[in-house]
Amino acid sequence: MIRDISVMIAGKAGDGVLFTGNVLAKILKRSGWEVVTYRDFPSNIRGEPTNFTIRASLKKIYGRSDYIDVLIAFDCESILEHRKVMAEEGVILCDGEDLDKAYTLKAGKITHHPFALKRLAREHFRSEIYKNMIAQGALCYILGLDFGIVKEVISEIFLEKKGRDVVEKNINAVNLGFKESRKIIDERNRHFLLKKEDKDRLILSGDEAIALGALGAGCRLFAAYPICPASEIWQWLAVYMPRFNGVVVQTEDEIAALNMVLGASYAGVRSMTSTSGPGASLMMEAFGLAGIAEIPVVVAHVQRTGPSTGMPTKTEQGDLNQWLYGSHGEFPRIILAPGTVEECFEFTCTAFNLAEKYQCPVIILTEQDYGQNLRTVKKFDLSKVKIERGKLLTQEELLKYKDYKRYEFTPSGVSPRAIPSQKNGIHMIEGNEHDERGYRNEDAENRVKMMEKRMRKLKSASREVISPKVWGEEETQIGILGFGSTLGPIQESMKQLKKEGIKAKFLQLRTLWPFPSQKVNRFIEKHRLNFVVENNYTGQLSTLIKSQVKPTVEVKDIRKYSSDSFKPSEISAGVKRFL
Amino acid sequence: MRNKKDFHLENPTWCPGCGLYAIFDALKSATVSLELDPEELVMVTGIGCHGRLNNYFNAYGFHGLHGRVLPVATGIKLSNPELYLIGVSGDGDAYSIGISHLIHALKRNISLTYIIVNNQIFALTQGQTSPTSSVGFVSKSSPYGSKENPLDGPRLALAAGGTFIARGFSGEPSHLASLIIKGMNHKGFSFIDVLSPCITQNKVNTYSWIRRNIYRLDEDSGFSPKDKKQAWERISDQSKIPVGLIYEEEKASFEELILSDKEKPIVDSDLKIDSAKFEKILELFK
Repeated sequence: MIRDISVMIAGKAGDGVLFTGNVLAKILKRSGWEVVTYRDFPSNIRGEPTNFTIRASLKKIYGRSDYIDVLIAFDCESILEHRKVMAEEGVILCDGEDLDKAYTLKAGKITHHPFALKRLAREHFRSEIYKNMIAQGALCYILGLDFGIVKEVISEIFLEKKGRDVVEKNINAVNLGFKESRKIIDERNRHFLLKKEDKDRLILSGDEAIALGALGAGCRLFAAYPICPASEIWQWLAVYMPRFNGVVVQTEDEIAALNMVLGASYAGVRSMTSTSGPGASLMMEAFGLAGIAEIPVVVAHVQRTGPSTGMPTKTEQGDLNQWLYGSHGEFPRIILAPGTVEECFEFTCTAFNLAEKYQCPVIILTEQDYGQNLRTVKKFDLSKVKIERGKLLTQEELLKYKDYKRYEFTPSGVSPRAIPSQKNGIHMIEGNEHDERGYRNEDAENRVKMMEKRMRKLKSASREVISPKVWGEEETQIGILGFGSTLGPIQESMKQLKKEGIKAKFLQLRTLWPFPSQKVNRFIEKHRLNFVVENNYTGQLSTLIKSQVKPTVEVKDIRKYSSDSFKPSEISAGVKRFL
Repeated sequence: MRNKKDFHLENPTWCPGCGLYAIFDALKSATVSLELDPEELVMVTGIGCHGRLNNYFNAYGFHGLHGRVLPVATGIKLSNPELYLIGVSGDGDAYSIGISHLIHALKRNISLTYIIVNNQIFALTQGQTSPTSSVGFVSKSSPYGSKENPLDGPRLALAAGGTFIARGFSGEPSHLASLIIKGMNHKGFSFIDVLSPCITQNKVNTYSWIRRNIYRLDEDSGFSPKDKKQAWERISDQSKIPVGLIYEEEKASFEELILSDKEKPIVDSDLKIDSAKFEKILELFK
C-alpha cells in the first residue's frame, strides 16, 4: 500500500497547472492525507514552463520528497524536463498531441501513457480548459480517489460563482478522464490511496495563515503594495477585514505602506504591512522611524530570490541581513521566523503582542516556499490567541499622570503610551532624537540615555520571544541548524540519514533577533559536528550564529542559492560529505 | 471658549521675518475659530524649517520622515476619523521627495488639510534649488542657474483630482487663516500652497517680489472657484500668481467610502473577534 506519494502537474503558464494542483491538494486533504505542495512558476502570465507538485502522506510531513511518482504533463517539454526526477516505477501521463519527441526517449521502468487531454476536451466540451478536469479524472483513476469527495470539491469551487451547469460539465470531464484512463493505464500502474478521517484540519498557505493570524490578533488596518509572493496576505484580508470593521489600503508604494501603518499604529490601531525583497528595501527608511519613535508595527516579509527584481516567484533566504542590520542607525527590532504554516498563524498573533509590549518593529520573516504553497494543519484555535497591549494607557490611567511623558525613562525601557484624542496625553512623535516628552533634543547626555532606554527593551524582550525548537532524537552526534523553509527538507533528510545509521538532531531557530545565544550554544556544543543549512550564498544565518556564539566544535555550512528550496537528498549528501 | 494661547506651546526660533511665523499664527487663529480642543488635533510635519511647528504648536504631533507626511496622516485619519488632521510640508517635502504621496492623497480625497510652506528653496539644508525654484535661479546646487522648469502645485493638484485647491501668502496671515478654516471645513483633501519667503536663503522671492506678482481671487467678481475650466485658466496664466481659493468641489471622501462602520472609529473596535465568525472563515480552508 502507498504511504507517501508525489504527483506533479506540469505545463505552460496559462495551462491551469496551479488550478489543477490546488483541486487535487484539496481532494487529498479531504481524503485524510497530509499534504505539502510545491510550485515552480515563472514570473509570467502565459507561455513559460511551470509545474506544481502535491506530496501526500499518511504521516505528518513538512516538505517535498526527492522524487515524483505520477507526472501529468500538458506538453512534451515537461516530460523531458521532469523525467530525471521520476521515481523508479513512476507513471507519466502526457497529452498525446505533440508526443513524438518524448517517445524517442528510453523509458526504463517508468511507464508513459499518451493521453490526448486537449483533444478530448475540445471534442467533448468544445473548450480546452476542460483538460484540467479530464486530468483530474485520470488522477482519480490512478490514485483510486473517492468520487464523492471529488464531486464535493468541484461543487464548492464552481457552484456559487459559475452555477450548476458548470459543476455538471466539470464532473462529466472528471468522469471522462476516469473512463479514458482506464482504457490506457494498466491496473498495475495504479497507486491506491487509503482513505483516512479528515477532522479539524485545514489546508492553506503560509500567506493565508499570516492573514488569519492578523485578523485573529486584532489587526484592523493593513496597508500594502502589490508584490510577489506576499500579495496573497492582504488580498485575502481585503475581502475579510471590512467584515470586522477593519480597512485594507493599497498604497502608492511600500514607503507609503509602512508610513501609513505607523500613522495608524500611533493612533492606537493594530496595523500591519506585508512585502518582499524590493518592497522591503523601500521600507527601510520607515523601519528606522518605527525604531526611534517607538511605534509598534508588524511587517510580514515573504522572501523571494534577490537582489533587485531577482526572481520574483522563486524562493530564497537572502533577506535576513536586511532586517537584521537594515536601515541606518541602531535601534531595537524583533525578527520572528516561522518554519511551518501553523507557526505563520501563531507567530503573527505573537508579533502583535511583542510589537505593543516592546513598542518596536516586529518582522515575520517567511519565504515564497511555504508562503504561497499549501500545507495541511490542525485547525487554528482562536481561544488560544491572547491580546496583550503592553503599556497602552486607558483614558483613566492617563488622567492620573501629573506630568505625562511619552518617552519616559523606565527600568524596562518601555514607556507608557498615549494615543491622540486622549486627554492629558499630548506629546510629540519624533523621528529626530528627542527628550522624554518627544521634543527634539541634541544633548549628548540625553542621547546616551535615550539610546540605552531603547536598546534596553530588547533585553526584556529576549526573555519572552519564541525559543528555538529541537527536533529529532536524543543521542546524536550530528547537529543541524536552520530557520524557515529548510525545516521540511531537513526533517526529510534526517529520515534518510537515519536509514543509513546516521542520527541527527535539528535546532529550528524561531526568533532570529534578539538572538537566543545560550540555547544555540548549548545545542552546538552537544554535537561533534554541526551544519548550518540555508538558502543563500553568503551564509547569513551562519554568520549571525558565529557572531553571537563562539563554538569550540566544528560548524559546517550547507547552502543552496539556485532559487529552489532544498531537496532532502541535497542536505543528506551535504552531511555525508563531512563524515 | 479657547484662545490662541491654548495652541501656543512655545515661542518659535525661526529666523526673524520668516514666513513661518505668519503660518503659525494663521493656524492658531483657524483652530480657535473652529473651536477645536488641542487633543482632537494632530499635526503631522515633514523635514525642513516648517518641521519645528510641532515644537511650538500645542496639539498631538508627529514629526517623522522627509516627504512622508501624507501616508502617516492618512493612517491616523483612517484609524480615527473624529480627529482633525493638519499636514504641513515644505516645497521640498511635498513636491520633491514626497510628490507621489501628494498625487495619491489628492486622488484618494482623504479628509485632511495639507499646508505646503513654499519658499522656493531648500532652506534648512542651507540653500539648494527646489522643485518650485524658477528657471535661472542661482543657488548652492545650481551655481550657473537652474535649468529646470518649476513645478506649480495648484496646477498639479487640479490635474490630480484635487477637491479643494488654494494658495495663500505669508504676508497676509488673516486671509491665510480664512483659507485654512475653509480647508478644514472641507470634506476631503484640502490643498493649500502658501507662498512663504525664506528671508535668509532666498533673496529673489521676497515679500516685495511676491506682493508685486500676486493678485487676490476673491477681489475678482468674475471668478468662481466652482468653475474648473476658469480655475485652470487662472493658474495657467504665468503673468500673475492668483492667491485665494482656486477650486472647490463636493465629492465623497476616502474615509467615507472605505470605512465599513461609519459610527465607530476603527480605534474603538473590539480586538477580540467573534469566534463563530472566525470559524466560518476557517471553513473556506477545509
